Amino acid sequence: MKITIWISAMALLLAAFGLGGPSNTFGATPDDKPASEVAVKIDNFSFSPATITVPAGTTIRWTNRDDIPHTVVSEDKTTFKSKVLDTDEQFTHTFTKPGTYSYFCSIHPKMTAKVVVQ
Amino acid sequence: MNEKNRTESVKSGLSDEILHDHNHDGVDRRGFLKCMAWAGTGAFCVIKGGVLKSYSLSGFPFGGHESKGDLSFVQISDSHMGFDKAANPDVVGTLKAAIDKINALPVPPAFILHTGDISHLSKPGEFDTVDQLLKAASTKDVFFVPGEHDVLNDEGKQYLERYGKGSHGSGWYSFDKNGVHFVGLVNVMNLKAGGLGSLGGEQLEWLEKDVKPLSKSTPLVVFAHIPLWSVYPEWGWGTDDSAQALSYLKRFGSVTVLNGHIHQSMQKVEGSVTFHTAASTAFPQPKPGQAPSPGPMKVPADQLRTLLGITDVNHVPGQHALAVIDSNLV
Repeated sequence: MKITIWISAMALLLAAFGLGGPSNTFGATPDDKPASEVAVKIDNFSFSPATITVPAGTTIRWTNRDDIPHTVVSEDKTTFKSKVLDTDEQFTHTFTKPGTYSYFCSIHPKMTAKVVVQ
Repeated sequence: MNEKNRTESVKSGLSDEILHDHNHDGVDRRGFLKCMAWAGTGAFCVIKGGVLKSYSLSGFPFGGHESKGDLSFVQISDSHMGFDKAANPDVVGTLKAAIDKINALPVPPAFILHTGDISHLSKPGEFDTVDQLLKAASTKDVFFVPGEHDVLNDEGKQYLERYGKGSHGSGWYSFDKNGVHFVGLVNVMNLKAGGLGSLGGEQLEWLEKDVKPLSKSTPLVVFAHIPLWSVYPEWGWGTDDSAQALSYLKRFGSVTVLNGHIHQSMQKVEGSVTFHTAASTAFPQPKPGQAPSPGPMKVPADQLRTLLGITDVNHVPGQHALAVIDSNLV
């Protein structure tokens, strides 16, 4: 398949430039898809998974599965901030820089979670 | 509250006598539990001279001395206008029922306090609907404080434009009626990750100044959306800096704290402070810790209105505390 070949080529390229460490999700097996988008579920007043580790460049898509609105807001309230998400509404944010991003629901601040970008 | 006391209180059949007043506050654990047991089914609790009495609504002497006061008002809460999920697809109908209940009270209330979550999603149409429905109430005076659902997306700007006339900061204020001092507080703004409700330094400073000139015999009613006592912090049911606020109220002989947010009625007494939460007019939430989350609780349709309600509060001059009466929407 063309895609598989392209990914393998990317993995080789990254490895050649020293960007592809052992934890890199690219090229683990030739059939893996690139981790370009990852889902986080909001359910029962919690983010799931509560901690998610992704490579830089990944987009996270949050979906609210509760009967109550929630938000997705970075702890500093500026890096990323969703509008209020009613049931089944979604929010996406692309993480370009490595780091640990703690976030919470600004309506129910006991709901906390984090994204670790490698 | 340990397990032994819990078991005893169940076995004792919730006697009216105060058996263990460990805190010398006129309330023993059994008395507190008894009040809790009535909560949600229609309860009346009153403290007179430090003695807590509770009655079921059916046994309450309506029209008797205790229901007639110098000042009577009603608290409603958590209308969540716009909510349309299974827990209650008709929040308009239940708010109407709450207003009918208000209009049927034996003593017409002087005014209504709405302790927040007027709307579900802060949409203008949701606020408009509540305002329109409240016009049918026997009293036209309604005092609001915001819930977290009323300040979504705009840091409370719309709320302030609609309800904040004459208020300070994000919407706090005080007023006097018949010798009772009322304080409306805002604890749903600028919430911090991992935290609870928050009043903030500016509001606390204002509160300290606001109550300073009052004599200690002035009855106080403090109302805010999120409980100002630690109901269940695991679910965010408390306010981080409420202890600071309550320290300014310590010297007063009668303090009644009215909150919403938890969609069920509960009562707690600490010294001269009576804490009370009102039921929602929209949907019930589970008892603390008795569900995976505090989300809307689905109950059979014929039970819904037994878990929603209004709170009637009466002040009788010369009596120690205000009488707080919960009634459901059946």
